[in-house]
Parts: sequence; structure tokens; C-alpha cells
Amino acid sequence: MAIVERPTPDSAGPLALTSGDRTATTDDALGVFRRPSNATGWRSWLFTVDHKRIGIMYGAAALFFFLIGGIEALIIRVQLAAPDQELISADLYNQVFTMHGVTMVFLVVMPIGAAFANYLMPLQIGARDVAFPRLNAFSFWCFLFGGVFFNSSWFLGGGADGGWFAYAPNTSVIFSPSHGMDFYAIGLQITGVASLVGAINLITTVINMRAPGMSLMKMPVFTWMTLVTQFLLLFAMPVISVALFLLTFDRIFDANFFNVAAGADPLLWEHLFWVFGHPEVYIMILPAFGIVSETLPVFSRKPIFGYEFIVFSGAAIGFMGWGVWAHHMFASGLGPISVAAFSVSTMFIAVPTGVKILNWIATMWGGKLSFTTPMLFSIGLVTMFTIGGLSGVSHAIAPADTQQTDTYYIVAHFHYVLFGGALFGFVGGFYYWWPKAFGHLLREGLGKVHFWTMLLGFNLTFGPMHILGLQGMPRRTHTYFDGYGFNMWNMVATVGAFLIALSFLVFFANIFLSARDAKKPGWVAPGPDPWDSRTLEWMTASPTPDHNYDHVPVVTHRDEFWYRKYGETDDHKLVRIATAEEVAQTGERTDVHLPAPSYWPIVLCAAFPLLGYGLIFNLGFAFVGGAITLAALYGLALEPADDPDGGHGHHDDHGDDHGDDDHDDHAAIEQEVTTGD
Amino acid sequence: MTETSTYSGPAPDVMDGVDLETWGFGTNNATGVSNNKLGMWLFLGSDCLLFGALISSYLLLRHRGTGLGPEDVFDIPFTSVSSFVLLMSSVSMVFAVSSIARDDQPRTRLWLLVTAMLGATFIAGQVYEFTSFYREGLGYTTNLFSSAFYSLTGFHGVHVTVGIVMLMSLFVMSLTGRLTKERAETVEIVGLYWHFVDVVWVLIFTIVYLIP
Amino acid sequence: MSRLRNPRTRLFGLLAFVGLALSACAANAPQTTLEPEGPAATKIDNLSNITFLIAGVVFVLVEFGVLFVVWKFRARKDDDPDALPEQLHGNTKAEVGWTILPAVILAGLSVATVGTILDLADKPEDALRIRVVGQQWWWSYDYDIDGDGIHADDDVTTPGIEHPEEYATDIETASEMVIPVGVPVYLDIEARDVIHSFWIPALNGKKDAVPGRTHHLTLEADEPGTYIGQCTEYCGLSHAYMRMSVRALPQAEYDAWVEAQLADARTPTDALAAQGAEVFAAQCTSCHLVEGVNSDTFDGAAQVSGAAPNLTHFASRGTYAGGIFDLWRDLDGDRKIETDEIGVELERNTLEAWLRNPPAEKPLYPTGARGMPNLGLSEADIDALVAYLMSLD
Repeated sequence: MAIVERPTPDSAGPLALTSGDRTATTDDALGVFRRPSNATGWRSWLFTVDHKRIGIMYGAAALFFFLIGGIEALIIRVQLAAPDQELISADLYNQVFTMHGVTMVFLVVMPIGAAFANYLMPLQIGARDVAFPRLNAFSFWCFLFGGVFFNSSWFLGGGADGGWFAYAPNTSVIFSPSHGMDFYAIGLQITGVASLVGAINLITTVINMRAPGMSLMKMPVFTWMTLVTQFLLLFAMPVISVALFLLTFDRIFDANFFNVAAGADPLLWEHLFWVFGHPEVYIMILPAFGIVSETLPVFSRKPIFGYEFIVFSGAAIGFMGWGVWAHHMFASGLGPISVAAFSVSTMFIAVPTGVKILNWIATMWGGKLSFTTPMLFSIGLVTMFTIGGLSGVSHAIAPADTQQTDTYYIVAHFHYVLFGGALFGFVGGFYYWWPKAFGHLLREGLGKVHFWTMLLGFNLTFGPMHILGLQGMPRRTHTYFDGYGFNMWNMVATVGAFLIALSFLVFFANIFLSARDAKKPGWVAPGPDPWDSRTLEWMTASPTPDHNYDHVPVVTHRDEFWYRKYGETDDHKLVRIATAEEVAQTGERTDVHLPAPSYWPIVLCAAFPLLGYGLIFNLGFAFVGGAITLAALYGLALEPADDPDGGHGHHDDHGDDHGDDDHDDHAAIEQEVTTGD
Repeated sequence: MTETSTYSGPAPDVMDGVDLETWGFGTNNATGVSNNKLGMWLFLGSDCLLFGALISSYLLLRHRGTGLGPEDVFDIPFTSVSSFVLLMSSVSMVFAVSSIARDDQPRTRLWLLVTAMLGATFIAGQVYEFTSFYREGLGYTTNLFSSAFYSLTGFHGVHVTVGIVMLMSLFVMSLTGRLTKERAETVEIVGLYWHFVDVVWVLIFTIVYLIP
Repeated sequence: MSRLRNPRTRLFGLLAFVGLALSACAANAPQTTLEPEGPAATKIDNLSNITFLIAGVVFVLVEFGVLFVVWKFRARKDDDPDALPEQLHGNTKAEVGWTILPAVILAGLSVATVGTILDLADKPEDALRIRVVGQQWWWSYDYDIDGDGIHADDDVTTPGIEHPEEYATDIETASEMVIPVGVPVYLDIEARDVIHSFWIPALNGKKDAVPGRTHHLTLEADEPGTYIGQCTEYCGLSHAYMRMSVRALPQAEYDAWVEAQLADARTPTDALAAQGAEVFAAQCTSCHLVEGVNSDTFDGAAQVSGAAPNLTHFASRGTYAGGIFDLWRDLDGDRKIETDEIGVELERNTLEAWLRNPPAEKPLYPTGARGMPNLGLSEADIDALVAYLMSLD
């Protein structure tokens, strides 16, 4: 599904030249089904293949799941506010902490990363869309339906109760008799397909669809981090897929993979899970690293310090991330040699991470720092992630880790990394790119209230957990006894958790109020470049027009947009040479060819939960789901490359698209079958 | 490491030898590999890890259980023959790719069909093999070895089956005249997948059947 | 930007808060990791201290560095909006420097780490060997006193385990492990159902008990006393209620303890206890073993794990029900039942409540054969049972 633009319907000359006689097949559509027209209203979202809409939907869905996961977190904190509380039963507590973990990891942090990657990466490389737009829609719906399927377990006999790490054999039917773990295994399988297809799509996009002149080393850092992240996903997802298949086969078909009585070794699951699970950590954090690498230079009015070091340390983290997984298993009974090796490798992964922190500080050094909300959140990431990184070093030391692992010290550590790191970066990203996506800024005043409440609440919640852990409070316990010195800090943490909740209420109010501001008479649009930014995505109108760019920009510099605004005089003084409005494209062009929407991605994905319910409850559902899957696959395959009734707005024929379509579908078919849905 | 600008004004978006209106399409891109082919390569890279994890699990589990083991059920000569059949299908796949490149539709159809039939023969062999193992008392749930063995080879079998479906789709497309020379790359991409599945089988056959 | 002062003070406040909090750490925390009482835990603590020190220095440098940069390079109102700061793209020397410097520090740390890892993994000579077995949601401890490798109840662990050597169990106890002071104790850690983790923070780090595997850990207590811990691998429903304690005794007292434990259970002499023995025989012996009572007929407990606590010398222990209830009053209120508290004042109410309805006191899954069911005992039965259990000293 390559994308091409044509200036006017009748100037097919240059297109015909490059694409050979593909245009000859224009009317020879494979399809028997019509594609939806470029509809308006809700249809324009359900059937869209536009990377920007898909990105926005990823973000919205992730925030929805964030609410669910956040409520689960508050339930946990209320239960633990005081010792010996049994507000919810141990059984329910175990479900709540499991669902909280899985939701936050797979349905919040990962998809927010995907939201930014989808919306921004094609813009940052000057592309019209991703390489496979329909597969992109497929990825989103697959994630959404997988997440909804997973959470539907709350209404169908209870949520998963084996922890997000789901160590065997505690997840076997005898120890976890509810269907919760089935929902876990199948739900994550579905979202895994989404991530894998997304990875193939986004890597292809970065590699193949950069604007002319944009060499790899001219790419924005966020795009680089997206590339590294997607490679991690590409290789990590199949491993967790296999683990989940084995678990599913054990639970549903009575296989023996984790049946200790048959001689199985439970450590197999631990290895499979963490071979996926540790790259997963970097999958979650690297997009946020990319975001602050964009915002810190903008608000310091300086280029990123040591672009090469930032990029290569990101790639190094990506590589080294594969050699450290067993540090999650220092207490699991590995031999001392393995423990020593993984301990050392884990210590050294701190080096590229440290390089990033120092380079960010050096970026701010000598700059002119303006403390806008996105800047505050970015500085928040630098300071908070540092704490998480340092506590991480303390449990890279394997002997120390045998005291720390599975205590609240670890809970503190990974929340400083994932909340203090990833989420601070993401929220900063929301504030920074909000005008890009929606054409209006979020209110700065409320944004700062949001930041300070969140920073305070975050530290109150997770700071004391370091102490609790070192005092010996284990994780995943539904209560604790009086007299162990755990009482006060748990109460502090609970108060902090409600402050975090409050800070997000401010955020949601901000979203609502800012949107209302923008509708008031006399409101002035912020224009294409509200922050005096550096990268390409700001070089077109805001909100981004459907076709992204009126014409593909030619890139000669890293920070291309900035270098179009600023130049150097003969005596080496930097001066502004153009305003953003002069440089940015207007987005007014209407004749750019864009891929047509499609019904089939959402239909295909809607079948996956049915397959899941079928495996769990009644194979009848599975047959219905299978039938829909097959029909939808054929629908995708036989869909015409374009909408014959198009022609309005951003439409014309789509002669270039034929050869590509059936391959998309093959990829989809393979994906589908290899994952056994 | 410093980079200074010598701009005197906004850059005109032109580049010698590049047609910006068609940029990013087909081979007119950074790598010279089309999106579709690159996508397939990436998918296969990912699939390596899938089989890697399955093979590792099998190796870990096969001797841990009790009851029927590999040496009790395997019929090496039979599986060697079916492996050879699958290997031969890679050869016919090569012929199919070169035929479509020459726009030789009849031969393309022939070789696609031959490849699919060889693949189907392999699958039939696998079905026969599974059936006879089952008759010898090795069900899916019998022991660790059986669960691991059927899962690993089953996943491979599903891969081959999907390949057959793709080959037959190409065959039908060719019959209806839709498999034009311009879609030669589609055949090539299916070929990549097919060769990958064959290579994986060579690995599985060696590791599972031949190495005790 | 005068508001900058505000965040600065807040952050300073935060740092002060963290510092204070850490210094207050060890107070009243009986399960703390920061007060080692044995050689292994001390080695870990020494290594941790170095690490925390280095991390602390880096923490202060980085966080204050950020604060300094934020304060020093803030945009000011009187700045010329068109004047740009120097556009510095990087400094290779500096960057190579701060790549190498942490690598060197970590290399030093890794040498110490690897040394400690290997040191801790050493199997001590002449160690007392105890098998520790985790099951939902309690721990059992088996002692091979005479080293003859024979015991009636030796096959309860999961098939597939190859024991490091033929294991004999002459003493089988639960909830608390008794060890001699100053002697290394080499543990063989196993599990009967799911993964658990054995952890006595004052004596050593934790080690997972994985079904189908035997793991080892060395404990040694410097001083007599009780050291507590709890299961740290999530193990299902009642994970929070799976505790353990180690009671270290001087060698002579330990020898006496062994002597007493090797004996069969006493036959009750007073009438109430004898009545309790009948209740016990009717209600409890299908799961619980008491040496000298049902050791001839006992064939494993009707549980998924196949085990229930051996009650032969129940009254000699400090805690029960997975170590979550004190059998004897905690007179000094330190949440540990020390040797001098055992046998002093019975926590009768808790014990009666437990016997009355165990699943109400601790989350269990009796219908799934995981945990003690409600036996529907009458109050008279309970009184008699308590009297009988108290005779099992």
C-alpha cells in the first residue's frame, strides 16, 4: 500500500513513468467489495486508515484503560492504607493487582507509545502515511479488542489472578481455577498480534519512507527511539506469544508444558517471560526518552547535545536489553555463574542510560530554558527516572537483589522508571503535541497545577515504597500485619495515590476546558509552530491536514524546520531568517491521493474476541469468530485498491496500489494463523 | 561534531534526480527494497524468534518426562522422505518466481501448482505421522515430549498450510489473468515465505529427529 | 522567573524528606533488610552499603546538577527574545568521558559483586542440613539427624525431584525452623505445588522454592534469637499469610531440642486432653501426622500438595497456621516469639478461633484441597483439642 500523490488528475505523466504500466491495471481492481467512501462522523473513525486518526484513537483508548488501571491502583492503595485491612478479599485483591499491572503495561504505556509513534513518526520523516495503512488500522483495532476482551473477564467470572508475570505453575487450572488466566493468555495474544503487525509496519515506514535527504542520522531522536522500540517489539513479541501459547494449551487442552508432576520445569516460563519481559521494559521507556529528546532542545533553544551519543545509546540499550533478562530471576535458583554474568551485564546497561541523562542535562546547559508545561514534565522525567535508574543499579548487584527482589523496593523502582520515566515523558508529549493534533494548546496554568500535583503525589506514593521494601514488606500481599513498621509509609503512599488521581482529574479538566476555549469567539489559533520547534512535523498546518504535507519536504539538516527559520550571518551570528508561517506549508492542497478507508480491519479484529470466548466457554463462538475471520480476510484481500466512487476531496484513482494489496493480506493471514486464532 | 547552517533563506523543496511527487513509492525509496518485501523480511525475522522459542522449549522438555519418547516413535526414513519432498518444493518455487518474471503464465501456474502439491504432500505425511504416533499411544497430553513435539511441528505445519493457501491464491489469480508481470514481486514475496518455512523445517528435522 | 524559587524549595524539601525517612528506616521494623544478624546477610549488607553510597553520590550530583542548570540557565524576562544561546551540538571528549567514568565505577562494583556471588554460593563444610519445603501457604522443615536416609514420609514432594542425596527426615516440623547458633545451616529448598520463596532477611537473601527443583541457601545466626521472614514469591490466594521464622539456640539448648523432637508424641494424661486426642483421631488425622499416633497408617494429606503440618510437637513452636498466628503471647511486643516466650502464656482466643473456622481466619481454598476446611467442631471439641494440642510439647 504505498502512497503516492498526484498533482492533478490529468497530469499522470510522471507517475506513469515511474510506476511503469501499473496504471494499466487501474480499472482491473481485484476487489469484489466496495471500500467505504471518505465518510464523515463516526464512520470516518471506525474505517479510517489515516495514521493520525489511528494515533489519536490509540491515545484515547490508552487513556480510557489508564482510568481503569488507575481505579485498580486506588483500590490497592485503599486496601493497604492501614494494616490488617480486609476491605476486599485476598482473592479480589490478587485479581486487582494482576489486572492493574497488565492493564498499565500492555494497555496503557505500550499503546501511548504507539499513539505517539503513529501520529508523529510519519510526520517527522516527511511521509504521507505509514507503509501499510490498512494494517495500521488492523493493529489499532486488534489492540483495542484485545484490551476489551481482557477486561471483560471482570464480568465473566473474575479477572486474572496470577500476577502480570504469571509464573507457572501458579497459573495452571488447579491453582487458578477461574477463567481469569485464560483471558490473560488469549487477551495478551491478541494485543501481541497488534504490536507485532505494528512493528513490521512502522519499521518499514522508517526505513523506506523518509523524505528525500533525510538520512538515518538526520532523523529526529523520537523517530530513532521509535525505530529501536519497534525492533524490540518485532523480536520480543514472538517469544511471549510462544509462552502464552504454551500456557493456553496447558490450561485449555491439558498439555504438559508446566505440569511439574509430568516432569516440567517451571523455570521455562520464567525464561520465556523475561526474555520478552526485559526488552519490554525498554519498549515502554524508549518512546518517552525520544519525547524528552525533542522537548528539551526546543525549550532550551539549543540543539540536542550529542545527537550521536543519544541515538547510539538508545540503540545500545536496545541491544543490551536482550542480555539481561535473568536479572529478574536472581532468586530463582540459577547457578552462581549465570547470576554473576547477568549481574554484570545488567550493571553495564546503566552506562548508555546514564549517558542519556547526562546528555539531556548538557542540552539544557547554556540554554535559555522556558518552563512551559511540556518542559516541566520533561525535567520531571530526567530527575525522576534518575532515581529509578539508580535503584535499578542497586538490584543489578545480585546479592543485594536477593534482599530487594519481590519487595516494595522493586515496586518503587519500576514505578520510578515507568511512571516517573515513561508517563512523565508521555504527559509532557501530550502537552507539547496537543496543538499539533488538535490545533489548540492545553491551558498552561492548569498544566502546571497538573505537573506539581503529579510530581508531589508521585513521590509521596512511590518514594516511601523504597523504605517499605528495605524494611522487608513483600509485594503482592493483600494485607500486612501491624507491628512491622509498615503502617505510616503505607498511609503516606495512599494519600499520594489520591493526589496522583487528582492531578489527572486536572488533566482531563484541562482537555475539556481547552477544547471549549478554542470554540470561544475571539480565540486565536496558535498557528503551525507554537513552541518555536525544530522538527518537520511542525512544518505543516496544525491540526495536521489529512495529507500531512502539500509537498514532500527535502531535508538537508537535522532539525530541518529550525534551520529553515534560522540562519547564520557572515560573522557567525544566528539570526531568524523566516517566520514559521513563511516556512510551514499551509496544508490547503486538496488533490493529494490518499489510501481509501476500509471496513475490514475492524471487522477482522472484532472476530478475535469471539475466538477467545469460544476457546474459553463454548467452541460455538469460536466457529462464528473463525467464520468472520475468514470472511474478513477475504474481504481485505478482495477489497478494491480504491474506492471507485471516490473522487471527491483527497481522491483519485489508485493505480499504484494493486501489487501491494494482496501481500498485505498474506501478512495478515500469516499473522493470524501463526498466532492460532 | 558541530553543524552550522549556511542557509540564506528557506530551502526550496527540490532535489536533483528525485521526483518528489512519487517519492516513497515502489523502489524509489531509501533501501531499494519495496515496502512489501521489507515487511515480509521483517515478519520472517520475527518468526525466527517464534520458532527459536518453540525449539528451545522442545529441547528443554523432551527428555524430562516419562513414557514414550522420541526414539520410541520416530520413523526417520519416512520423515526423511517427506522432508525431501518439502525441500524439493523450494526448487519448484524458484522456477515459479523465474517464470513470472518472464511473464510465462502457463509455467508460472505449473510451478505454483507443483509447489503447492509438494507442500500438501508434506502436510499429508505429517498427518499420517501424527496419526500413527497417536495409535502408538502418544496423544497430545500424554507427556512432556508429546506436548512439545506436537506443538512445535504443528506450528510448522500451520505455516506450511498458510503457504499452500497463498500459493493456491496466486494460482487462481494467474488463471483469472490477474497475476500480471507487475505482480511478479508478490510471487517472489510468497517465495521468501516458502523458503523460510523450508529452512525452518531443515532445522526442526535436524534438531528434533536426527540429533538424539 | 521568580516562581523558580518555589520548585527549588519544594525539591530541597523532598530531598530532606527522603533523607530523614531513610534514617528512620530501621526503627521498629522486625523484618528489615538493613540489620544483618548473620555472616551471609552481613556480606550482602556490606555490598549494598557501597552501592547505596555510590548511588547516593550520583543521585545528589545529578539532581542538584539539574536544579543548578534549571536555575542558572532559566530564560529571563529581560532577555532579548531574538538572541539565541550558543548552538552547541555536543562535545565528544565530555561525552566519551561520561560514558567511560560510570563504566569504570561499575566495573569496580562488578568485581566486588561477582566475588560476593561466588562467596555466597559456596557450600559450607560441616553444615547442618535442613530440607525446607514450601506449599500453599506454610513451610515445613525436615531434619536428617542420624543420616540414615530413611523416613516414612520422604516421598511427599513432587515426582521428578532428584534429591542432592538420599534424604532422611527424623524431625519434621512446621512454621518455625530451629537452628544452633554459630553453625552454618545448608538448606535444601523445595516446593510441593507452586513457586514460593524462602526469606529470612536478617540471615540471608531470598531463594525461590521451585517445584521439581532443589535450591540451596546457607543460613547462620550470630546470636541466639528469633528471625522472621515471609514468602516473597507470589503463590496464590494467601501469599500474604505465608510466614516463617528461624529460632537460633545455643548448641546445648539445640541438642536438647533435637532430643525432645525425636520422641514420639506424648500420650495425654489428663481427661480433657485425652478427650481431645479422640477428637483429633476422628477429625484431624487424615491430614495431620502425629508421630506415635497415626504414623503407621498415615499416607499423606488429602491436599493438592499432599502435605499438612506435622503436629507431633506442636506446643513447642512459637507460631502456627503458616506462621501467621502466635501460639504464645508476644510478651515484649516485637512480633517475634522468642524461646523464653514459648510455653509462658497461651494465645487461647486465636487458637480457638482458628479451630472454629480456619477459612475465616486465613484465606484458604479448602474445596480445592488447598488449606484447612471448617470442621464444624463444637465448643467442647475445641476446648478438648486445645488441651490435647497443648500436651504435644
